[in-house]
Amino acid sequence: MIDLLLQTCINAIYAASFMALIAVGLVLIFGVMGIINFAHGELYMLGAYVVVFLYADNRLPFFLAVALGLIFVGLVGIAMERTLFRPMRDNPLGGLIVSIGFLLILQSAVVMGFGVRMEHIPPPTQVIFHPFGLEGVVLPLQRLYVIAAAVLLLGALGIFLRKSRLGWALRATAQDPEAAALQGISINQTARIAMCIGAGLAGVAGALTAPLVRTYPYMGHSVIVTAFIIIIVGGIGSLEGAVIAAVVYAFVHTFVTTFADGVIADIVGLLLMLAVLVVRPTGLRGTRDRA
Amino acid sequence: MSKSKSRSISKVLDGVSRRGFLRGTAAGVAGAAGVAAAGVSGSGRALAADKTVKIGFLAPLTGEVAAWGLPGLYGCEIWAEWVNGSGGIQVGGESYQVEFVSYDNEYAPDKARTGAQKLIHEDEVKFIMMLGGDTMPPVVEISNRTGMLVSTLLPSDLTPDTPNLIAPCEVHPIYNVTGVEWLAEAKPDLKTAVICAQDDALGRPSVATYLAAFEAAGIELVDEPLFFDISTTDFAPVMTSLMAKNPDIICLDTCYADFVHPLTEQAFQQGFKGQMISCTADFYDQMIAKTSAEFLEGFVFQFPDFDDPALNESFVNFQKPNAFFSEYAKRWPGEWGAVSWEYASIMDLWRAGAEAAGSVEPQEVLTAMKAGGTGLHAFGEAKWWGQELFGIDNALVGNWPVVVIENGKAVIKEYRSIPDWWSKHKDIMIKHFEAMGEMFYQRT
Amino acid sequence: MPKGGEAKPTAALWKPALLLIAVYAGLIVLPHLLSFSQKEIAVFLLINVLLVVSYRVLTLTGEWSLGHAVIMGVGAYASALYAKALGVPVPLAMLLGAATAGLVAYVLSFPLFRMKGFYFLIGSFAAGEVIRLLWKRFRDPFGGPKGIKGIPGLSDIEIGTLKIAFWDPVNYYYVCLLVVTLSLVVLYRLERSRFGLTFHAVHWQDKLAESVGVDTRRTRTLAFVVASVFGGLAGALLAHYLGTINPNRFDVEEMVFVLIWVIVGGTSTFFGPIIGVVVLTIVNEMVLREMGVDQARPLIYGAILIASVLFLPQGLESLGPKIKRLFAGRPDRPDRPDRRQLAGEPSRD
Repeated sequence: MIDLLLQTCINAIYAASFMALIAVGLVLIFGVMGIINFAHGELYMLGAYVVVFLYADNRLPFFLAVALGLIFVGLVGIAMERTLFRPMRDNPLGGLIVSIGFLLILQSAVVMGFGVRMEHIPPPTQVIFHPFGLEGVVLPLQRLYVIAAAVLLLGALGIFLRKSRLGWALRATAQDPEAAALQGISINQTARIAMCIGAGLAGVAGALTAPLVRTYPYMGHSVIVTAFIIIIVGGIGSLEGAVIAAVVYAFVHTFVTTFADGVIADIVGLLLMLAVLVVRPTGLRGTRDRA
Repeated sequence: MSKSKSRSISKVLDGVSRRGFLRGTAAGVAGAAGVAAAGVSGSGRALAADKTVKIGFLAPLTGEVAAWGLPGLYGCEIWAEWVNGSGGIQVGGESYQVEFVSYDNEYAPDKARTGAQKLIHEDEVKFIMMLGGDTMPPVVEISNRTGMLVSTLLPSDLTPDTPNLIAPCEVHPIYNVTGVEWLAEAKPDLKTAVICAQDDALGRPSVATYLAAFEAAGIELVDEPLFFDISTTDFAPVMTSLMAKNPDIICLDTCYADFVHPLTEQAFQQGFKGQMISCTADFYDQMIAKTSAEFLEGFVFQFPDFDDPALNESFVNFQKPNAFFSEYAKRWPGEWGAVSWEYASIMDLWRAGAEAAGSVEPQEVLTAMKAGGTGLHAFGEAKWWGQELFGIDNALVGNWPVVVIENGKAVIKEYRSIPDWWSKHKDIMIKHFEAMGEMFYQRT
Repeated sequence: MPKGGEAKPTAALWKPALLLIAVYAGLIVLPHLLSFSQKEIAVFLLINVLLVVSYRVLTLTGEWSLGHAVIMGVGAYASALYAKALGVPVPLAMLLGAATAGLVAYVLSFPLFRMKGFYFLIGSFAAGEVIRLLWKRFRDPFGGPKGIKGIPGLSDIEIGTLKIAFWDPVNYYYVCLLVVTLSLVVLYRLERSRFGLTFHAVHWQDKLAESVGVDTRRTRTLAFVVASVFGGLAGALLAHYLGTINPNRFDVEEMVFVLIWVIVGGTSTFFGPIIGVVVLTIVNEMVLREMGVDQARPLIYGAILIASVLFLPQGLESLGPKIKRLFAGRPDRPDRPDRRQLAGEPSRD
């Protein structure tokens, strides 16, 4: 039983890391641009396909492929900001439509390039740890990569936002774009940076987990719903809230899946979100409402 | 044979054009009415003197369920080229070229209805192949009114009210009993099992089947079946839950390949040492890459590679299975799966029916197909069956292969008779189908 | 509160009346000009017209829901079950189904209207998903993931030798045309009524509206319930035509399509969403399919969506902050000038 509990905790920590990487990017983009990026799941998918193309098909080293995935998807984010989201800034409905349009394009482009079927990605490593010295409790190194990436990247992001001038500008814009503009902050620049970071985080999540999950052109669909739940529970303006909510949601969902079943876990997850919304209509850490 | 593919930039671009994008756009620009362009034409090899018979392909070609339709259309493309290239089909003394007309139903019932009307009344097809499931009920209604012959891959679409609907290839999930029966005989020391499935129209009847098969084989189920939603991405918790009861056998039901892979990988990583059984193991070579050949040794499933020499047995009716497999792998690297050959095998059956009937008219072909109560199933002669389970004898049931991974390669261990199992254990099956609400009188 | 203001110079009524007659003459002849599959598309299109117009009612109060597809499903499931399990005559079952959708919306309004804006958007999504998961989970009576089959259709009518079968798309098209027209008239009148004006007021100036005694929560609830009743009616029309419904038919993807139609069309006029759904359906179901670009269809559709929002902002202009400012001083006049032009009405200024 203790094995089962510890293993479930490890599963939950992994799930939390993975979801936090995606949800934080989504929150950042929403905070700075006031746009709900429905295509965020497809940016995650794109990151996974960079690994498919470079690592699985063309035999580049895994971590080089992951790094290039981060950069490539970050650049896609910048391109999205410039062409799609800039004209739609603070127009959440217009932003919604262009991001839906873009996700349709990304999906069918990947279908045409790679086919509809799940991709095959050989594992970069098969090392498995037994962190508590118990035979029945395992932590594969591949999953540890994801956990480590989440801690490092989100930690770095936190420091960047607090300590650097650009980070300060980003936070100021997220709080009040007009006041920030009056302070001489370039909204275009902060939006570009937010989009680059947000997309890059989704891309790196996709790239790192590509060998672990089912990598197929519609894989973004299943994460975006969970990501929305998480950013709502966390409060949509709050990065810390997103991280806390990712942890809470991952633990609840993982434990319910293990001890009941997956369908019940989904219902519980949604009810959790509704309950949080009813008690605190702006989420756990949310303060205001830009939508 | 190597199923691993190398993909370079030029190949991806090649793929884009090959996958019909440029061709389709050009047809649109040319202002063609385009109905023919939407289908898979017989490579322009049709002779002017030949007649043409059109076959409808009404399945999801875009969206999440496309993997159950599109690869089948690719298979039909090869089938049509081969048949048309060798003179077409011979019906009533005339030779016909076969042309497929596809309509993307997006797995939505309203689009299926629209598509069926278009295929029947505008394209004048003589036979419609479908995936089935959600998209079937409106088409059944149309088929009953027009007499159109329709095929499905999901026999759970069959009811007493579907006289023109046939399930001539995959009698999912009944054939799964063969794998369990074989396993119980080959490894009698396995006594306990657990099972998981996605919560959908494929997963549930399959769970009922496996429960019946385990009970018939004297294997005890030590936990309730675990259902997960099809949007699940992380399977570590599912596998942790399954392994918590220390079962001898983990059964992956009819989980999609997308789930079988991560589940198997999790079983490996979490140190499972027992037996695994599953309906499918598409791309098992990749599963081996993610685990190890030793881990997958003895994995039991139901879908052979078509380069398996056992498919060249004289009673197998699928035409040129090995050549079909290699041609498919050449054109669509990495896309091979069960549906790749299933639609094409239905066409073999249809062709035999049409040639026997001397007509391509749906009702005459249906009558000829069912004549004598037997038909030529891909895996040997089979009988039209289903009265007790589906309320109608419109499923073609006979032998089904039991496939086991040995030394990293799927091997057909033997063909087992589904009707034999049924005659011994049908009460158990009906009991579990009733408990799951899957009997035809519960599915109305 | 300003009056509904329906009194107009009689001469000015000519133009819109003629236009309306011409449009309806066209709509009545239309199915006889279409191919078989286009007739089917026309039926589903009419149902979707009702869906988007009902959705717009809620958006008038400034709230955007992601639950409308599920609400449509509530109407469809309820109507189907009343007719199939309880034997209620189909037309009555449809009305009861619509009422059930309204009732469910009323119940949901208690938790949901604690939220606003983006939170309401996602809250409505979560509520809808819970309902959908309940359909999947409780096979009795909802049929589980496969949904309900064998839903009775409208029974055929026999008048002497004339037999009208409603399975026929042309006949059902006329049923839909009638139901949708009546619904649109009701919704149009409602928007012009005192209630409709409070919807707008709640949207643009909710604090001000409150200060003059408008109960904003009640107004939002009313709009939500009205939208849901007619959305549910659309679902009922669908269920008894198709004969089958399932949880996937009302999933978030379907909702995304509703949003696309409504936003691309624009919500500041009564006719915006109708234009959106008609144009985009023709593009997606007729033009792109005829082009034979099956696999690239979503790609081209996506490009069209982006282009329409970026380059044809008419449909969207009322949603932008610019318009918000434009209206800031004039809460009593929700209409924009082009709205009356679109509706073929004379200007009142």
